[in-house]
Amino acid sequence: MTASARILDHFSKANGSQPIRILGASGQLGYGVPTPAFSAGLERKPHLIGCDMGSIDIGPYYLGSGELATALAATRRDLRKVMLGALKLKIPLIIGSAGSAGAKPHLEQTLAIIREIAREDGLSFRMGVLRADIERTVLKTALRSNGVVPIDGMAMLDATEVDAAANIVGQMGMSAFQRALVAGVDVVVAGRACDTAIFAALPAVAGFPIGPAQHMAKIIECASLCCVPGGRDSILATLDQEGFELESMAPQRRATPVSVAAHSLYEQSDPFTVLEPEGRLDLARATYHALDDRRTRVVGAVWEEAREPWVKIEGARHVGERAILLCGTADPRFIARHEQLLQEVESVVRDLVCEDAAEDYVLTWRVYGVNGVRMTSVTQNIPLGEAFILGECIAPTRARAAEVIRTTKQYLLHHGYEGRLSTAGNLAFPFTPPEVSVGPAYRFNVYHLMRASDLDALFPLEIETV
Amino acid sequence: MQLQDLAQVVRSKNAGPRRITLDVIFRNDADYQRATQSEALTAEKIAPLYGVAFDAVTVINYPLGRAIKIVVPREIMSGDPGDRDVYGAQQHTPLLRLEI
Repeated sequence: MTASARILDHFSKANGSQPIRILGASGQLGYGVPTPAFSAGLERKPHLIGCDMGSIDIGPYYLGSGELATALAATRRDLRKVMLGALKLKIPLIIGSAGSAGAKPHLEQTLAIIREIAREDGLSFRMGVLRADIERTVLKTALRSNGVVPIDGMAMLDATEVDAAANIVGQMGMSAFQRALVAGVDVVVAGRACDTAIFAALPAVAGFPIGPAQHMAKIIECASLCCVPGGRDSILATLDQEGFELESMAPQRRATPVSVAAHSLYEQSDPFTVLEPEGRLDLARATYHALDDRRTRVVGAVWEEAREPWVKIEGARHVGERAILLCGTADPRFIARHEQLLQEVESVVRDLVCEDAAEDYVLTWRVYGVNGVRMTSVTQNIPLGEAFILGECIAPTRARAAEVIRTTKQYLLHHGYEGRLSTAGNLAFPFTPPEVSVGPAYRFNVYHLMRASDLDALFPLEIETV
Repeated sequence: MQLQDLAQVVRSKNAGPRRITLDVIFRNDADYQRATQSEALTAEKIAPLYGVAFDAVTVINYPLGRAIKIVVPREIMSGDPGDRDVYGAQQHTPLLRLEI
């Protein structure tokens, strides 16, 4: 009997009389799962271990390139820990947004690590694999029927951008995970997924109310981040027919009514609403009260089923090859005039590198100590001792980007500007070479909602015996 | 008094790759009331700090979390060429010196 069949059988017999315990093991699998709290969580006999592995916050590079954001060794260590924990207790393990961005290459790399761990540790189990890649033909069909809308002022999507994207994924909701659990599995590994779906799917299949299940999921997907002090340690949620209780598995982390309520703000533009493919979570009437100084009980979340499912889709396209220049200055005259001076150097460089080639690159400056971090040009008077200068070139080829950034370095180093005293060189290099080719650059070119009448077809399930 | 001396948390983070959400959380209800009643954290006051139109700024009061949430659009999408803060985690500083 598979783990999901065993747990669903248990709750079918309990007929609503027993709560379900869910262990939020990690909000970012692959950056380390602290063992003491995870082990303490296992001792509480949870019915599910859930782990989120990805996010869109990390930018377009990983989705575009197919690379994992986490280190291979750390990813393997974390996967092994949660696999051994779940298999020992014979409970389902669900991993969402595999490999950071959840497209095919990320999912395949994650599955390869899981199979390798199974071989090394002599483990065998039934694994549900949920793919999140959106086929270009499907997306183009949706485009033609006005079934794609931009999010937050994104441009309208067209077929050219669909073709240009290196990878396109959709965020699957809980219905995909529900299919896997009903099919009978021990482990579920999904491509790009809503973080809530990982934790809400099992309670939904087991007959728990979806509002509190989704609300619980939204909080525990970040492990103990909802506590004071917030942290990465595993968290245990106990869900019943009315609401849920939260308790961090690290004794120093307290889930208080205010800390848990405040977590609804995190990375959300609206603290009262969470949109999912299958519906909308309304938190306007949610209430939080302390059970003791470490545990909080939450009730009142309401789930409204969507009349028509919409899926958030994400895509990243290659925009060129990136080379950077790392250098610093402590010269007050240079810093005072840096804006004009950098423009002068850009012009000198352009004349040189475009003598026999098109101006096919973009050169960007970030002057740390002046304006390297703030997105707005609101100037504040900050006394400056030193400034760090990051030059960045994105060009069609690695060689072209390197050519532009190396030429730029040389002319910035020796640029003669008005009032200059330091005629031997304008820059301090922490090491040489100060120019680095950092590989391909990507940008998000798909961040849209797509109407999806058939979620099952969009996120197909494969069952694999490991 | 400046916001940085009154608030317990002043933070920023992406809310999706095209917007930044700024959360200001207070230690107690009195501080929260003082901030919400001061008119310092309104769309009109915040918009120029982020170089955006005031009708592009959303301010949501959230008494359960003793928090004020502000959402502003990003001029450059997360990770696009020219971006300065892919995660959006360091865009809170213009708020720190707001007079409450």
